[in-house]
Amino acid sequence: MNIPTMRAVVSAMICLAMLTGCWNSRELDELGIAVATGIDKNDQGEYLITVQVINPSEVATEAPTTRPPVSTYTITGETLFEAFRKLSIKTPRKIYLSQMRLVVIGESLAEDGIMPALDFLYRDHEFRPSYYITVAKNASVENILSVLTPYEKIPANKVMNSIENAESHWGVTTGVHIDTLISKIRSPGEEAVLGGLLLNGEEDVGNRMSNVEQADAPTTLELDETAVFKEDRLAGWLTEKQSLGFNFITGEVSSTIVTHPCENGETSSVELLRSTSSISAEMDGDTPSISVLIEAEGNIGEMNCDISIGEPEGIDQINLALEEEIETIVQSAIVAAQSDFESDIFGFGQAVHRYEKNDWKTLESEWDEVFKDVRVQVDVKAEVRSRGNSSRQIDKKG
Amino acid sequence: MNQPAISPRQFMFIVIFFTIGSSILIVPSPIASAAKHDAWVSVLLSILVGASLVLFYILVWKSLKGKSFVQACTFVFGAWLGRLFSFFYLAFLYILSALVLRNIGDFMTTQIIPETPLTFIHLFFLLVVIVGCYLGVESIGRSAEIFMPWMILLFLFLIFSITPQMNMDHLRPFFDSTSKEIIDGSTVMIGTPYLEMVALLMVIPYVKESPKTAHGWFIGSMIGGGFLFLITILSLLVLGSDLTSLNAYPTYNVAEKINIAGFMEGLEIIIAIIWMITIFFKLTVLYYASSVGIAQFLNIDNHRILLLPLGMGMIVLSLVAYPDMAYYENFVADTWLPYAVTHGFLLPLFLWGGLQIKNRAQKNTL
Repeated sequence: MNIPTMRAVVSAMICLAMLTGCWNSRELDELGIAVATGIDKNDQGEYLITVQVINPSEVATEAPTTRPPVSTYTITGETLFEAFRKLSIKTPRKIYLSQMRLVVIGESLAEDGIMPALDFLYRDHEFRPSYYITVAKNASVENILSVLTPYEKIPANKVMNSIENAESHWGVTTGVHIDTLISKIRSPGEEAVLGGLLLNGEEDVGNRMSNVEQADAPTTLELDETAVFKEDRLAGWLTEKQSLGFNFITGEVSSTIVTHPCENGETSSVELLRSTSSISAEMDGDTPSISVLIEAEGNIGEMNCDISIGEPEGIDQINLALEEEIETIVQSAIVAAQSDFESDIFGFGQAVHRYEKNDWKTLESEWDEVFKDVRVQVDVKAEVRSRGNSSRQIDKKG
Repeated sequence: MNQPAISPRQFMFIVIFFTIGSSILIVPSPIASAAKHDAWVSVLLSILVGASLVLFYILVWKSLKGKSFVQACTFVFGAWLGRLFSFFYLAFLYILSALVLRNIGDFMTTQIIPETPLTFIHLFFLLVVIVGCYLGVESIGRSAEIFMPWMILLFLFLIFSITPQMNMDHLRPFFDSTSKEIIDGSTVMIGTPYLEMVALLMVIPYVKESPKTAHGWFIGSMIGGGFLFLITILSLLVLGSDLTSLNAYPTYNVAEKINIAGFMEGLEIIIAIIWMITIFFKLTVLYYASSVGIAQFLNIDNHRILLLPLGMGMIVLSLVAYPDMAYYENFVADTWLPYAVTHGFLLPLFLWGGLQIKNRAQKNTL
């Protein structure tokens, strides 16, 4: 053999030996792709986890069979990690966590404190932090994750898409990722919230294929109002209106519908397209006071009031009604947080920290007490820009 | 003698890589835990100190008159005392290379391939580095030129794609930390990478004589510092100071948060690529400096025969250097700075003083 050939052979052999891939390569058909996890505690204080795994043959096929697109497995363990590994006695494949879309926390765990569970979720390298965390409101996590959803084959995807959709078009829900959650729980002068998940209908019906074989699925998953936390414990639930108010204050409302009543007993709706908020704080002697400025911009969406929207005065009138309505919504959220839950979900404490850093040093330790009675000044500036297709009210008079 | 040579421009690129390598992943977290959301002030402060350090190194280099650090030690202090100085200097470089190698292993086993044994990651990475050192400083310089645009492109991509996730409130209130906390934070970056630049005194004799050489070093270290500033402020803006200090590799977590229009996700590997490219150059420069230095120390003409045996030692050293991550963090926090100051500042200061006396004496005898 001449030297060039020998060189080629040797390099080929070295490449063969070195380019075989990872130390422990795992083929796709050896992995069970988990898309959702439910975490709760049972009566013995052990973690109870439910994992929703994709059935690849059902999702990626032209001719679906009667098998469900996902399977769920439930198991208990002393720690979360233990429980996840213990799953292998039930599942045929190793559970792969990088495609996780959704984590559902059971209500009893939420009441006990979620921080111990978050440690694993944040520490393990396989999780990407892009999944949403929600709280199961009226059902066990096992039942919620077993519901088969119409339209979207994979329930976890359905919930994720609903969260994103509702966030950008309805403004009431909050999609929370793990890093925001952890930093809010840890940071002083700020408390965390999570979105709620609701099971609507019969539990026994939801986990059958027959649930999705009907146009009107009897059992569905719905996003629910916002869960308020105090430290890492569930303190209570905001109503729909309060959740919207919360999102107004934190500036998370991108688009929503604000409905206001009018003198003739009818109602009208304005479609908000943008809203921003800024929170500032200042000291009145020893007590801090917070001011929230909300600016919103929108269109008239549905007009049944007796207001002549052809005139600038009419638009002003609507602006005014809109401002009042938003302010009521926002105030209801503030009242709920201050007196019902005593939890600073808006981060007013952080605002004090930002604006009055010297006073914050003394306030920090007693902020929980201070927050309950802190004065909040809400200013809303609303601006209706356009009126849709019609420049007048569409009524019977003609 | 036909000395291999690189251009001042290539040298500047090497300096940029050297500054960013390894610091990009390990620096933000300790700075943020010391200086909280004022960490970026610490970084600016350390760049300032770094600038004066680099000016000092340039001063030392000017008085070296084309000699390397090790040759100059022998020249000034004689064969025995000079060798003692060189020994400490070379030990510093060698240990530093082993630690940098271990940084790669730690990162890979923490974030990407946790079940692969460290030994194999170190082995394969070091093999590439050895090939680089074998081919010599010219090849290293040219490949630095090739990789620089890639690094910058990936970096810009990272910055632009993460912009929507930034939150200015994470930086407020400004100057909330005490000046002691800010100075504490800045020592991290003074130790890594600025005091480590003393290694470049072994490489700079290979740069073509030009007035631009000193510029290259200075500007390169400032550009590298600018990158580190950007990466730190990015971590703060995206994660907040609490999560930045909580994470082992905050920049990697920043990249994990990239989400463009809902479908471009999981791009964190670009930060791993930046890190691989930069740390490759850092390790190659360090390894080259130690092997050339040891060759000069032992009066060996060709440093290449040392590359493999030194590598074997380095694999072992990198594995036993520290038992676990917690030990390493304490080591970086408490031990590294004094160690780096004695070897990266006092040692060259002695040498510079000696050179001044020696050069003056020589001038007088002429």
